Amino acid sequence: MFEVMLEILIKTVVILALPLGALPIIIHVERRGAAFMQKRLGPNRVGPFGLLQPLADVAKFMFKEEVHPTHVKPFFYTAAPIIALVVAILPLACIPVMAPFQAFGRTIFPEVFRSDMGIFYAFAASALGSYGILLAGWASNNKYSMLGALRACAQMVSYELSLSTSVVAMIFLYGSNDIHVMISAQTGYWFGFLPKWGVFLQPVAALLFLVGIFAESNRLPFDLAEGESELVAGYHLEYSSMKFALFFMAEYIHMIALSALLIILFFGGYSLLPGLELIAEKAPILLAVLQLTSLGIKIALMIWFFVWVRWTLPRFRYDKLMDLGWERLLPLGIANLIVTVLFVYFRNQ
Amino acid sequence: MVADVFLTILTVAFALMVVFSKKTVVSAFALLMTLLSLAMIFFQLGTVFLSAVQVLVNAGAIAILFVFVMMLINLEQFGNNREKSKVKLVISTFTVLVVLGVFALVINNNIDSLSVVNLTDNSMKALFDKLFNSYFLPFEMATVLLLAAIVASVVIATHEKDESIEQMEILKAEEKL
Amino acid sequence: MEFASFIVFFIIACTLSAVLLLISSLLGQKRKIVREMDIYESGVNPVGSATRQYDIKFYLTAILFLLFDVEIVFLLPWALAYQESPNHDFMLAGFIFFMVIMLVGYIFVINSKALKWEE
Repeated sequence: MFEVMLEILIKTVVILALPLGALPIIIHVERRGAAFMQKRLGPNRVGPFGLLQPLADVAKFMFKEEVHPTHVKPFFYTAAPIIALVVAILPLACIPVMAPFQAFGRTIFPEVFRSDMGIFYAFAASALGSYGILLAGWASNNKYSMLGALRACAQMVSYELSLSTSVVAMIFLYGSNDIHVMISAQTGYWFGFLPKWGVFLQPVAALLFLVGIFAESNRLPFDLAEGESELVAGYHLEYSSMKFALFFMAEYIHMIALSALLIILFFGGYSLLPGLELIAEKAPILLAVLQLTSLGIKIALMIWFFVWVRWTLPRFRYDKLMDLGWERLLPLGIANLIVTVLFVYFRNQ
Repeated sequence: MVADVFLTILTVAFALMVVFSKKTVVSAFALLMTLLSLAMIFFQLGTVFLSAVQVLVNAGAIAILFVFVMMLINLEQFGNNREKSKVKLVISTFTVLVVLGVFALVINNNIDSLSVVNLTDNSMKALFDKLFNSYFLPFEMATVLLLAAIVASVVIATHEKDESIEQMEILKAEEKL
Repeated sequence: MEFASFIVFFIIACTLSAVLLLISSLLGQKRKIVREMDIYESGVNPVGSATRQYDIKFYLTAILFLLFDVEIVFLLPWALAYQESPNHDFMLAGFIFFMVIMLVGYIFVINSKALKWEE
C-alpha cells in the first residue's frame, strides 16, 4: 500500500514538475524569440543573457498589489483562475513521457494513471478548458471581459469539431486507442529513412489538429479572446498579480499538453528521434532517458513553432475566423475521415 | 467505499443546488458540477471511456449551452418570478411521484442484474459490439434525430423578426422621443 | 488504483493553484484606492451593465457545436469497433448512411447562412 502511494506521488510530482519547470524557460524563449524576429534586444538585463528575467517576473507577480474590483462576482472571480490552471494541468495525467519499463519486479507505467482509454480522457479534460475563461469573463462583470470570454468559447468549440474529426481518423487508422500502441505503431522507418510517423500517413488530419490546437489554446493568429486592439485584454482584463499569472500559466500549460497530444498522434510520441537509436543500441540502459529527451525535443520544437507563428501571421478578423472553422476546416475534416475509411476498407478487400 | 459515498453525496448536493439556487448562473454551474461528479463516478467504477464521453458531451457541451443562455439573456429585465402558486405545487408533486414510481419499478424489476453489472473498459468493447450488431438501427436513427435538432435550432434562431414586435419597438422609440 | 492516482493528481494540482494565489494575497502590496476598484473602461465612466444581450450567433454556435459533437462522439466507438467487426461491409454501409445524414445537416446549416457573422 505504502509503495503504491509512493509511486503515485512520485509520478504526480514529476509530471507536474516537468512542465512547470519548463514554463519560465518557455516564456523567456518566447520573449527573446520575439525580439530576435523583430530585430530588438528583448529582456537581457537581469542575469547573463537575461536568463534570470523569469525569476524576476515571478517575484514581481508575487509582490504586486492584488486589485480586487468592487463590481465583480467575488466567488467566481477568485475561482476562475484556479479552475483555468487545474483544467489545463489535468490532461497531462495520462500523457506518457517514456515507454513502460521493468523495475522493482513489475512493469511501471510512466503516466500518472494508466488506462487504454487515456486519449479520450486527455481530450475530455482539455475540452473543459473553456470554463475557466467563461467564468473569468462573466465574473469580471466588464463588457470587454464578457465579449472576450464569449468569443473565446465560440472559437474553441468551433475548432474542437475539426480537431475531433482528425482524432477519429487517427484512432480508426491505428485501430486502437491505447497511447502506447499508437506510439509503437509509429516506431521504425519506411524505406529505411522516413520515420513511421502519423503525419506522413495523414497530413490533412495533422494540419487540422495543428490549426485546432492554435485555436484551442487561444494563441495568435487566433487570439481574438484577448485581441488588444479591440478588447484591451479580453477575459483577464480585470485580473492582476498572481491571478493574472495563473491565466498566463494555464495558457502555456495548455499549449504544452496539446502539443504533447499532437506529438503522440502524429509525431511518434516518445519514440526515439532519428539518430538516437545508435546511442540506445550501445547503451540500452539509457533508453528511458533518450525517450524522455526525444519527447522533450519534439515539444520544444512545437513550442518554438508557436512562437514563430505568433510573430509571423497577423490576427484574423472574427467573422473570418469562424468561417475558416465552420466552412473550411470542418468539411475538410469530414472529407478526410470519409477518404480514410474508404481507403482502409478497399485496402482490406 | 469512502470514495463511493463521498461522490454520491457530492453529486446529490450539487443536483439539489441546481434546483434550489436563487441565481441562475449558479444553478448552471451547479449543473456542470453535477455532471462532472457523475463522470467521476463512472471513472471510479472503472470506465474511463464513459466518463470521458460524459465530460465531452454533457459537461463540455450542454453546460456551455446553459451558461451561454444565462449570459446572453439579460435576466435582470425579467425580475424574480419565483412566486409560489398552487398549480406549480401540484405539477411538481406529480412529477416527483412519477419519477419515484419509475425508479421503484426499475429497481424492483432489475435489482439482481443491477448488482452484477461490472463496468470496465473491456466491457465497453462488448457494449460497442452490441451497439453495432443488435442496436444498429437505433444508432443510425440517432443521427436523424440530431438532424431534426440541427434544422430546428437554425430555424428558431434565424427566423424573421415578427412585424408586430417591430412596430411595438418603433412605437416605444417614438414615445421616448 | 487509476482513480486513486487521478484523485491524488487532481488534489495536488488544486492545492498548487490555491497556494500560488495565497502567496500573492499574503505578500502583495495592500492599498485601497477607490478608483482602482472601478470597472476598467479605458478611463471613461462605463455606460450600462455588462449583463446585456449579446449576439444570438454565440448561442447558435454553441448549440450547433453540441449537435455535431454528439455525432462525432458517436463515431468514436464506431472507429474502435470496425476492426474487430466480422462484417466490414455492414459497418461501412452504416458509416456512409451516418455521414450522409450528417452532411445533409451540415449543408443545411451552411446554406441557411446561420453562421455568417457579417450582415
